[in-house]
Amino acid sequence: MFFHIVLERNMQLHPRHFGRDLRDKLVAKLMKDVEGTCSGRHGFIVAITGIESVGKGLIRDGTGFVTFPVKYQCVVFRPFKGEILEAVVTMVNKMGFFAEAGPVQIFVSNHLIPDDMEFQSGDMPNYTTSDGSVKIQKESEVRLKIIGTRVDATEIFCIGTIKDDFLGVISDPGATS
Amino acid sequence: MGTIEPFNRLVKLAARAFYDDITTKGENQPKTGRSDNRGIAVVVLDALTRRQWVREEDLAKDLKLHTKQLRRILRFFEEEKLVARDHRKETAKGAKIYNAAVAATGDSQQTGREGDEKLKMHTHSYCCLDYSQIYDVVRYRLHRMKKKLKDEIESKNTVQEYICPNCSKRYTALDALRLISPYDEYFHCESCNGVLVAESDKLATQELGDGDDNARRCRHEKIKDMLTKMEEQLKPLIDQLARVKDLPVPEFGSLQAWELRANAAGRSANGELNPNDPSKSSQGFGFGGTPMPYVGETKVEVAFSGIGEEGENVKPVNANKPVKVLPPWMIKEGMNLTKEQRGEANKEVKMGGTTTAPELSDDKKSTTADDEAKNIQDEYIKAYYAAFLMRQHGQEETVQKEQESTNATISNEVYSSPTERQVGMKSKRDDGYEGDDVKLEEVPPTGGRTERFKVHDLNVEAEASEDDEDDIDWEEG
Repeated sequence: MFFHIVLERNMQLHPRHFGRDLRDKLVAKLMKDVEGTCSGRHGFIVAITGIESVGKGLIRDGTGFVTFPVKYQCVVFRPFKGEILEAVVTMVNKMGFFAEAGPVQIFVSNHLIPDDMEFQSGDMPNYTTSDGSVKIQKESEVRLKIIGTRVDATEIFCIGTIKDDFLGVISDPGATS
Repeated sequence: MGTIEPFNRLVKLAARAFYDDITTKGENQPKTGRSDNRGIAVVVLDALTRRQWVREEDLAKDLKLHTKQLRRILRFFEEEKLVARDHRKETAKGAKIYNAAVAATGDSQQTGREGDEKLKMHTHSYCCLDYSQIYDVVRYRLHRMKKKLKDEIESKNTVQEYICPNCSKRYTALDALRLISPYDEYFHCESCNGVLVAESDKLATQELGDGDDNARRCRHEKIKDMLTKMEEQLKPLIDQLARVKDLPVPEFGSLQAWELRANAAGRSANGELNPNDPSKSSQGFGFGGTPMPYVGETKVEVAFSGIGEEGENVKPVNANKPVKVLPPWMIKEGMNLTKEQRGEANKEVKMGGTTTAPELSDDKKSTTADDEAKNIQDEYIKAYYAAFLMRQHGQEETVQKEQESTNATISNEVYSSPTERQVGMKSKRDDGYEGDDVKLEEVPPTGGRTERFKVHDLNVEAEASEDDEDDIDWEEG
């Protein structure tokens, strides 16, 4: 799920950036550092929407670097257990398939794929129903439910299921949204 | 402590439901008919429902079990969170505190731990049922059982587990990222690169399916059956849980707190001071100041009581003069009222008290002089003292004779005599009393006392009796 929260970070700035554009340079550096990263606690930081405040800079001893505490607003994405997401299949395997929902990777094991879908290997491995009506292969879009998350310090990984009602393939690969 | 009976019943039901086929033998050991000890866990739990904090050696003796076996079982229960254990180093004296505490709670099966060990610290282990945890643990267990079966039935939302057949390392689906191999489509073990096998639902795949559909239906039926059978067989346990839900849980507290409480309770029940105070000073335990209200005790206790603020005052005094422990007049009719062991402990310590009576009596005189005017309780105590002294007069003679008895036999005799005396009556005890006094005198609890014992033996008793005779003009009604 997406959230809009305020985070704080200490940014170090090299003296060569001091001058008229100090603040802009600081913000640019912040965006470069933070966007796209993931923290276990907040989730993936998707985008910075604004700077709330920049504190007084502290000159570090021994070097000329200055540390600014910056408060900024940002959009974060954090998956939760029980959440239902749409994801794009990236790899199909005998043990299940891997899908991506934005920055987070989700694994659906074959145990949680409906029993009527069989694995078929080949150059395009896929899961197919017996009558061939539903097919899960690379680049298919599926709707899945998250049943577990593993949160490390800088990484989030999920496992999901499509064995419930209203879950499964939404559209086939190549189909326009 | 709340009503314990429903909780005990809960423990017994849980033991029979879940632990009745626990055996202490390993998987590979031969199980003959004779050596099969399944169900021993139930026996142990039942025994624990009848006791509070109990020393493991004592429990083993009562149950006629090998200490090691019992330890193994108790360790298992500790891991299951049913039993609380406490291990502490004690000298023989410390064991007495515990003995007294148990005696105060009415346990009749006491074996003391007297020996020639003067100051050797052994690690004694104590165990006790932890009722609040037992309640939670049983509920959790039931919840997990039901959840597992329900998940199987609905076959949803279970995290898949993978096992490596080579090194039997376990992984979950959450580790899937690390397990995929670029070469083939299977998961590989991180350490041995063996192909992982998905751990299938054991309950569901117990039977080989006939055909796919049939297999699934059979599995479903089996699991449903299992669920209904489980609920029906566990019904008494669940009912007991419901009954116990609203009752206050019996709480024994930590071992030390329980001992303090039990000793104080015993004391207030019997109207006499805790004779184990000396052992406290000799052991240097941090019994500390749990202020306990006691009934009918006089301020004289200020010098000697172990529990309460007075205890703290006493400690430094006692530290300086370890011999000065208990005033002899503390020990009295209480003898008849308390258990033998208590009496034993009393006597033992008393001996320490009697030998130091000269110093004590001085103190007492001053304090008693002050207290005379105060409470009826003071007078009561003194009356006891009088009775005791009367007895001691008669004992003095035999004291001299029996002083020659050997030390070696003392400890043994001390413990054997109680059992004899249990059979006997007061009169017997009076007679044997002297013997005990004598023997105990010669076995001082601490090294420092020995000399004083021998020096003061007869003098002490003579002085004490004389002095107190003067004070005592009145006899209790």
